[in-house]
Amino acid sequence: MLSYPQKILDSLNKINYTTNIKGETMSGRVIVITSGKGGVGKTTTNANIGTALARAGKKVVMIDTDLGLRNLDLLLGLENRIVYTIVDVVEERCKLKQALVKDKKNPNLCLLAAAQTRDKSAVTEEQLKDICETLKKDFDFILVDCPAGIEQGFQNAVAGASEAIVVTTPEMSAVRDADRIIGLLEAKEEIKSYKLLLNRVRPNLVKTNDMMSVDDVVEILSADLIGIIPEDTGIITSTNKGEPIVNDDKSLAGKAYRNVARRIIGEDVPFLNLEEDTSVMGKVKKFFSGLMGKEK
Amino acid sequence: MNEIFTNLYNKVIGFFRQTEKQETSAKDVACNRLRVVLMQDRTNLTPELMERMRKELVELLSKYVEMDKEALELNLEQDGDQVALMLSIPVIRAKDEEEIQKALQESEEEKEKSEEEDSSEKETSETVDSEENNANKDSEKEESPQEKETDAKEENPSEDKK
Ligand SMILES: Nc1ncnc2c1ncn2[C@@H]1O[C@H](COP(=O)(O)OP(=O)(O)O)[C@@H](O)[C@H]1O
Ligand SMILES: [Mg+2]
Repeated sequence: MLSYPQKILDSLNKINYTTNIKGETMSGRVIVITSGKGGVGKTTTNANIGTALARAGKKVVMIDTDLGLRNLDLLLGLENRIVYTIVDVVEERCKLKQALVKDKKNPNLCLLAAAQTRDKSAVTEEQLKDICETLKKDFDFILVDCPAGIEQGFQNAVAGASEAIVVTTPEMSAVRDADRIIGLLEAKEEIKSYKLLLNRVRPNLVKTNDMMSVDDVVEILSADLIGIIPEDTGIITSTNKGEPIVNDDKSLAGKAYRNVARRIIGEDVPFLNLEEDTSVMGKVKKFFSGLMGKEK
Repeated sequence: MNEIFTNLYNKVIGFFRQTEKQETSAKDVACNRLRVVLMQDRTNLTPELMERMRKELVELLSKYVEMDKEALELNLEQDGDQVALMLSIPVIRAKDEEEIQKALQESEEEKEKSEEEDSSEKETSETVDSEENNANKDSEKEESPQEKETDAKEENPSEDKK
C-alpha cells in the first residue's frame, strides 16, 4: 500500500541535504505550529510531522516553547534523555548544540526541550529568534511547538518563524480561536504563509450532519488546507509508547500525517477522502438510493 | 407477496428520509453561529455597536431620502475572504431639492451648536478624562506590549472602545 511514498523517501534519503551545491550553509524553514485553543493537537502534529520529515531524509529540529508544560519529549519518547533545555541555552549554561537531543531511531531528528520548571517569561522573543537563526544553518526544518493562547508564549513561538500551521478541530470554539490566530498571523510581517490543519475529523459525525465538515471549516476560515487528520485511537496508544503514529505504516492518521509532510516538502498529494461513507449504514443507504434512481 | 416488499421498502426509505431531514441540524446551526460570531470578532462590532451604527445611518440618510426607518437593514456578510457591510434601504419617496437643502442646513446648525457645547464642556471634563486615563494605564500594564501592538494594527480600533 505504501510502496509509492517509500520509493520517494528512499530517493530523498540519497540527496545530500546539509549543504547546497555551492557548499554554502543552508537556510532551513522555520514553521510554527499553533492553534489558540489548547488540546487540539499541536504537539501531536509537531511530533508526527517532524518524524515524517526526518523519515523523508530532511534534517529536522523541533523546539518545544511550551515552558512549564512540556510534552513534546513525551510524545517522542525522549523524556529520559533530556539534560539541557532551551532555558539552559539562553541562560548560557550550555551551548545550543549540547541541548539538542537526538531521536532514538532517526539521526536526522532532534529536539530542543522546554524547561518544565520555568514560566513563559524565561525566554524572550529575541532569544527565540536568535536560536532559530542559528539552527537554520544546520537544519532543513525547524518546527516550533507553540503553547495555547495568544499571549507572550504565542508571541515568542512565532517570533523566529516565517511559516505557520494552524491546527484546529471541527468544533466551534477551536475554529473561532483559529480565526483569531489567523488574524494575528496576518498582521505579522515575518509570517509569509500559513496553512490550516484540520485534526480529529470524525467522518461518521460529518456524515450524519452532526459535525462541521472539512469544507465547512475551510470555507469559514477561508484558509488553505495542508492536512486532514482523522480521529484515531491509535494516537493515544502511540503517545503512551512515545512513538509517533507516522511510524505505524498501517495507521490512517499516520498516513495523513505523512501526506502533510510530503505537502510541506512541495509534493502535490491528494487529500485522503475520510468522508466517504464506508460504514454499513452508508452502504445500505447507497444501495437503496441506487434502487430509487437519483435520490438526493 | 409483492405488496409486503413494497411496504417494507417504503418503510425503510421513509426511515432514511427522516434521518436526512435532520440536515438543518447540529452542523448547520454550528456553521451559522460561527459565521456571525467570527464576523463580530473580525470587525470588533458587537450587536450593540451595529444597532448604534444603524441608527446613525438612518439619521444621516434621512437627510437625502425619505425612508422606512425601521426597515433599514445593516448586516455583516462574508464575501470571499472579505467582510462586507450590507446596507438595504427601503426608500419611500425621493425628497425634492428644497427639502434636502433644508435638512442639510438644519444639521449644519445642529453641528455648530453641539460644537459650542463641546468646547465649553471640554474644560470641565478634562480633569475627569485624565483620571480615567490613569486608571486605564494601570490595568493595561498587565497586558503584554506585543498584544497592544497587534491590537492597534487591527482594522478598526474603533473610538467607541473608550
Ligand atoms: N487525531 C487525533 N485522534 C485522537 N486523539 C487525538 C488526535 N489528535 C490529538 N489527540 C489527543 O488529544 C490530546 C491533546 O493533544 P496535544 O497534541 O497535546 O494538543 P495540544 O498540543 O494542542 O495541546 C492528546 O491526548 C492527544 O492524544
Ligand atoms: Mg501542546
